[in-house]
Formats: sequence, structure tokens, C-alpha cells
Amino acid sequence: MLSSIKSHIPGWEVFFQALLTLAVPIVIYRIYAALNTLAKDKSGSAEGVSQTTYSGTEELPDHPFSRDYDNNMNRVREAIGANSDVIIRELAVGDSEVRAALVFVKGMQEDQLLKIQIMQMLLEAPFGQSISNLIDRIPTNSAHTTSSMDEFTQSILFGYMALIIDGHSEGLLINPPCGPSRDITEPLSESLLRGSRVGFTEELNMNTAMIRKQGLTGNLQIRSYRVGDTIQKELAIVYLNDIVNPDLLKEVHARIESIKIDFAAESGSIEQLIEDNYLSPFQQAQNTERPDRVIAALLEGKIAILLDGTPFALIVPVTFSMLLQSPEDYFERWLPGTLLRMLRFLAAFIAVMAPSLYISFISFHPGLIPTELALTIIETRQGVPFPALIEVMILEISIEILREAGIRLPKPIGPAMGIVGGLVIGEAAVQAGIVSPFLVIVVAVTAISSFSIPVYSAGITLRMLRFVAMLFAAILGMYGTILFFLLVCCHLSKLKSFGVPYLTPITPYRLSDWKDFFVRMPIFLMNRRPKLMKTKQNKRR
Amino acid sequence: MSVSRSFVEPNDKITSSQAAIVLNNTMLGAGILTLPRSVSESVKTPDSWISVLVGGIIVMLVVVIMLKLSLRFPGKTVFQYTQTIIGRYPGMVWCLMLILYYVVIAGFEIRAMAEVTLFYLLEGTPIWAITIPFIWLGAYLVLGGINSIARVFQIVFPISLFILIVSYLLSLRLFQIDNLRPVLGDGIYPVIQGLKSTVLVYSGCEVVMTLVAQLEHPKQALKAMLTGISIPVGLYFITIIMVIGGLSVDSAVTSTWPTIDLVRSFEITGFLFERFEFPLLVIWLMQMFCNYCSFFYNSSLGLSQVFNLSYKGVIFALVPVIFIVTMIPKNINEVFELGDSIGYSSILLFLLFPVTLSLIALMRFKGGIQYEKP
Repeated sequence: MLSSIKSHIPGWEVFFQALLTLAVPIVIYRIYAALNTLAKDKSGSAEGVSQTTYSGTEELPDHPFSRDYDNNMNRVREAIGANSDVIIRELAVGDSEVRAALVFVKGMQEDQLLKIQIMQMLLEAPFGQSISNLIDRIPTNSAHTTSSMDEFTQSILFGYMALIIDGHSEGLLINPPCGPSRDITEPLSESLLRGSRVGFTEELNMNTAMIRKQGLTGNLQIRSYRVGDTIQKELAIVYLNDIVNPDLLKEVHARIESIKIDFAAESGSIEQLIEDNYLSPFQQAQNTERPDRVIAALLEGKIAILLDGTPFALIVPVTFSMLLQSPEDYFERWLPGTLLRMLRFLAAFIAVMAPSLYISFISFHPGLIPTELALTIIETRQGVPFPALIEVMILEISIEILREAGIRLPKPIGPAMGIVGGLVIGEAAVQAGIVSPFLVIVVAVTAISSFSIPVYSAGITLRMLRFVAMLFAAILGMYGTILFFLLVCCHLSKLKSFGVPYLTPITPYRLSDWKDFFVRMPIFLMNRRPKLMKTKQNKRR
Repeated sequence: MSVSRSFVEPNDKITSSQAAIVLNNTMLGAGILTLPRSVSESVKTPDSWISVLVGGIIVMLVVVIMLKLSLRFPGKTVFQYTQTIIGRYPGMVWCLMLILYYVVIAGFEIRAMAEVTLFYLLEGTPIWAITIPFIWLGAYLVLGGINSIARVFQIVFPISLFILIVSYLLSLRLFQIDNLRPVLGDGIYPVIQGLKSTVLVYSGCEVVMTLVAQLEHPKQALKAMLTGISIPVGLYFITIIMVIGGLSVDSAVTSTWPTIDLVRSFEITGFLFERFEFPLLVIWLMQMFCNYCSFFYNSSLGLSQVFNLSYKGVIFALVPVIFIVTMIPKNINEVFELGDSIGYSSILLFLLFPVTLSLIALMRFKGGIQYEKP
């Protein structure tokens, strides 16, 4: 008995390996934890953002206006007069020729007629009226006063037209800026054959208007924030009041208020500051250029975040299945919609797995594929001097470079580049014996599959994972590929986006949500909002 | 950045369907490939399917007992209420045995997985290269708690079920009813002999005693657990019928992994894979992963609850232990011996244990008193 136990005590190598088995995960866990605390520090207390209404900030006036016109003018000149685009037009108002000045920035107020009208009105105005009376008479739809010199000058630079009148301790801000803006065009990153051709623009007001214009409702709520410490920008969250879950709303509020950033250039930077897990390769907010997509998400109880200056709106929370859905699924009849959707799931699988399956079959288990096919492949690979991993890497990396180059190139050259890169290099690489023709097929199918993912950033994630999968396959073959699949499953099952498990409705099973998952059921059957959003109002009609 | 509670589901609770799948995935493992051989070895007649069925029914009864026992202590796992029932130190000893049992079984599952992988997929690879990543991956999953585990199981199980059913349907062409005849030709005795080996494939049902505590709606526990256990009973039943019917008892006994041999023995021409053993292996590997994770989770939960240790720390501490257990058997025969002894200790620990506990609980708490508040 004892001797049998003794003989079963493993050797020192096993204990050494056990030590390694212990050490590596602990080190990884420590690094992970350290990286995570880094993220916690980054999003500290709620400063730098103040919720505002459209009318202006509630900041205390640290430099109040004085009643003295010259004093005011000097301070305005001092603060912003050095800018070459600031125009100060001094005039004498009314009969008694009270001194006044109209200050504005070139190019921010397009309406020439308006300026002339305002000046005319000022010149003809009877003296002795208070400024609020003047506001009533100004022929624009927006004007308000401020007694803070700082806000006054900042607003001028942001594009307001401003008026200072002698003897008044308040400045008048007229007409919000309407600077140069782009026309509404078709969304470039999400073009559809069928469906609206309207895409967001860079103008926040225009974007919120586009969402409002989707239809008549009293429930659509838009709340505005300012984000950015150095340069402030307007950010709006949009939701449907009687559908959205109040807890989710609170969470989004809290996260936006904790944003600390110098300057929010694009909604992408907002996305990175409010996401749950910054170490995950998967995006935790969906970005879209399409108002119809936003409104559809709102109807499911989600929340949209719009930032001034970018055509990309964010939708939170996001689940994995949303990344493979396209608005077109709903516009076509349900059978084609379903088939296309399944095709996309298949494409996503191919986009991630095809090269790693190739590697594991070719270099580890040629016996598992039909003999004739295996023979053909091996025959074509005969001249190839590299192992399968290097072979695949060469082609995959050059495809990625080609794709990256294609985005940068001006439109007329793009297709030519595709031909040169794809056809010529692919063909030549086979001729030169660097890669096998079978691999060219695999890589091409993979690349095309990853183009069929309707959300561009999800496509990037899959491309990234593909390389990880290839490494796994190169080390452990099919077994490694299975491990990789399980790893992704484990990660996804842990991941949450604003509290919603990323993998719903696959798991936890919510059978009623499956109506809009692999299969796009006929519309009359989709009569409930997704359960996962825990909406206030469950029935769609 | 934590989300307010009401929007997120409570983190450590699972739904009834999740519980059913966790139970099912805990039991459906190595047995798929080995059951036909191990049962046929002890039965020696084609009646092994009766053993599997009878064994399944017995296990169901045991599960019901365990369930009733656990329901007397709502929200408490076996590691917590054992000490209430039989006192602090005896309870600790029982729990330690249970934890040890879980750790050994986890090691056994990994070893069996590694043996199959070495044999069919990665010949010549050092065994640690196969087991270590597997253990790490499990640790990563188990760190996420029961909810993540249940979710992964929910992804894996439908795939497994689909592939299993397809491969059995395809192997119908080899099926010969004569291989299953005569029924009870040697009387009832061989069937009883076989019960011993069937218990091993059902070992794992003990997790019921921790699962019930994590249910969102404990009222549906009975239905969930019975569903969870009837799926593997059914699948094992189909497995043994198909394998014995396809290969006959004699060849089932001589082959190491009879189910793979069955699937290897026919070819599907004109399909991407000519032999179906590859998908079968893939799902079996994933199923083994689920198996192992479930036992890993239960042992770490047990350790942390019995000794009031941090759950994460226990997981890291168990990683090398499981690895060493994996490496203890010297060859595949010892792996199977280990499996058999697990089966026997399973009878001891889990057929007798819950019954005894229930009796003591009945006597001490007179059935009327629900449980002591912590």
C-alpha cells in the first residue's frame, strides 16, 4: 500500500510545472488587477462636466459686467480683441446716440441680412429702454443676457453675436452660432440598399432634429451635457421616457458625469471613457451613423449618446447579437432577413476561425479532412518553404496592410490598388511559391467575410481575434482552436455592457428574445420589447 | 463602476434552466466515450443498457433526496449546512472529503481529456502542454462565479447536443438489433453487477447540493434538477444502445474509447469531414471543459466557505493541486482505475451521505423547523 503510494508521487519536474502553473495565472491576474485600478483612477470624481440646459451655464460670474461702457469694451478687447476673426462694430443707438458695440466672429453667423436688421433696429431704437425690452424687440429667435464677462467672451468666440450697450451691466448674446456645416449625406460606413439614406452630420442640433423627425412622439427626451475640461463640447443623451429603464438611465447619467477629458474629439473617446471593461477586445457601445438605427434602439429601451462634431452616435448597452444585425433585416421580408442574418453569423465565424482551422488541419491533422482534399492541398504546398503559420501570416498581414492602404487612398486610386494588391500580389505569391493557392482562397474568403459584418468596429475586433486564434492553432492545433473558442466564450460570458450580459439572448436564455436573434421573425410576432432591457413598457403595441 | 442592483440580475443567482444545464453538463463528460466499455466489462452481456437505465433511476432518487435536504436550508450550500446538522468538526471532515473528491474528479476529467487529445489529436505533445492551458482557462472561467459558468455551459450544451444526436443518427446504419439480444439472457445478476460502473458516469450529481442554494426560484428546483439529470441519463442510454448495437459487446469491451471507434467505423462520402469523429471530439473536449469547471468551482466554493477563505485565493491555490492530481496516474490504465475508485467513493460519499444527513436532520430538526437563521 505504502509503496504504491510512494511510487505514485510524481517527480520533481511535475512539482516544478505545478509551480509554474500557479505562478503564471497569479502574475497575469496581478497585471490585470493593476491595469484595472488604473482605469478606476482615471475616472475619478464627477468634475469637469456640468449638466446644462440649452440656455447656458450656471457658473458664478467671477468678472461681472460694469455699467461703464468703456470699461466693458476694454475688457472685451483685452480678452478676445487680439483675434483676427473677431469683429467689433461700434455704433450709436437710437436718437440719443447711446454708444453700443456689436461683437461677433467672422464666419460663425452666416445670415448677413440678420446683422443688418439688428443694426438697423438698434440705430432706430428709442433710448431709455432696458435691455430686456430690447431683447423683446430683436428679430431673432434666441437672445439672452449675461452678466459674466467670461461667459460673454467665450460665447462670442463660440459664435454668438454679442451686444454691449452703454449704461447696462449686462451683455446681450444674440442668435446661437450657425457656422459652416456639411450637407446631409448617405452614411458612408453603413450604406444600405433599402432603407433611408439619411446619415448624421457633425452638427448636434441637426442630429437631434433628425431623430425627432423620425416621427411624432411626446416621449423622446434629449438631455444635454457639456464635456471637456479645456475645450467644452455639447453632448446629448437621447431616450424614450416611458420605455427606458430608470436604473439604466441613472447609470448612463453617472458615467457621463464622471467623464474627465481634455477635449472630446469624437464619440469614440466618450465610448472609451464610459465602457465597463477597457481591456476587452469587444466594444461595449455600438456606434452608428443612422438615425433610423438610433430610433430602433431607443424603442428597445436603449439610450443613445450624441456628441457635437461627429456623425457617430453611441448606443448603449450593446449585446453581441446587435453587432451582426443590420437595419435591412427589418426592411426586407422576414425570410430573406433571416437568411441574411444567419449568413452574417456564419461570416463572422469564418472571419475569425478560417485561417486557424487551415493551420490546424494542415500542420496538425491532415488526417481529419477527406483524403483527396488533403492530398491536393499538400501537393500545392509542396514548394512552400514556410510552416503553415508563417504562410498564413504573410498573406493575412499583407491583406490587412492592403485594406489599411485602401482606406487612405483617394477614391479613384482605391480600386486600382485593390486589383494590384489582391490579384497581382496574390497570383505572384503563388507563382513564386511563397504561399499555396489553397491558402489564397482561405484568406480571400476570410477577408470577404469580415467585410460582411455590418458594424465596422466589430469587424476590427474579429480581425484582431483572428490573429490570436491563428497563434493558438499554431501551437496546439485543433485543440488550441477549441481552447481559443472556449476562451472567447468565457470572456464574453463575463463581459457586461452597462449591466447587460453581453451574450444575451444566447445566455441567459430568453426565448422570447430569440425571435430577433438568429432568426428575424415576422414583424407581427415581434410584439414585445427585448426582455433583457427590462423596459418599463413591455408590449410593443 | 457598478450598476444599480435592480437592473442587473443578482450576481450569484442562476435561473432554473441554467441550473438544469449546469447539472447536466457536470455529469455529461468522460462517460460518453468510456461508458460502453466500462459497463460492458462488468455486465458482459448486452444488457448494459438496463444497468444504465436502472442506475439513472437510482441516481434520480438520490438527487431528489439531496434536493429535499438542501431545500431545508434555503440559500445555504452543503458546505454550510453540514456543519449545522452534524456539528462543526465532523461537518468539516465531511466537507473536506467532499472537496477532495471534487478535486480528484476534476483532475481525472482533465487527465482523461488529455489522454484522448494525445491519442487522436496531438500525438507526441508533452502532456503538461495540454493540461496546463486547460486548467488556466478553467480558472479564468471559475473566477467569474456561477453565473459566468452557467452562461458558458449554455453556449456549449446546445452545440454538444446537436453534434451528439447527428453522430448517433449517422451511426444508425451500423446498428443491428441482434447485437442487443438476448435481453436478460443470463438473468438479472449481470445488470446488478453493471450498476457499480454506471455510478461513475453519474458521479457529479452531488453538485445539486450546492446548486440549489444558488437558484433564483428555489420552488422550481425539483423540476430543474430532474430535467438536468434526465438529459444525461437519456444521452447515456442512447450512447450505450448505439455503441453496443453498432459494435457488439465484444468489440466494445476491447476498445479504449468505444464511442469514437463507432463513429470512426463509417464514412460519409461527399461531406466536408468524411468521418464524424472530429466534431464528436470537439464537442467532447468542450464538454470535458464544462465538467472540469463545474468540479473546480464546487471545490473552490467549498474550501472558501468551510474555512472562510477568499474565493479568488482558493482558486489560485487549487490550480497547482489539480495539476498534480492530473499527473499522478502513470498510464491510461491507472487513469481508468482512478475513475473506478472515484465511482466507488462516489457511492460511499453520495449515496450514503445525503441519506444519513437527511435522517439526522429529520431527527434533530423534527421536520417542522425550517432552518436556523445565520
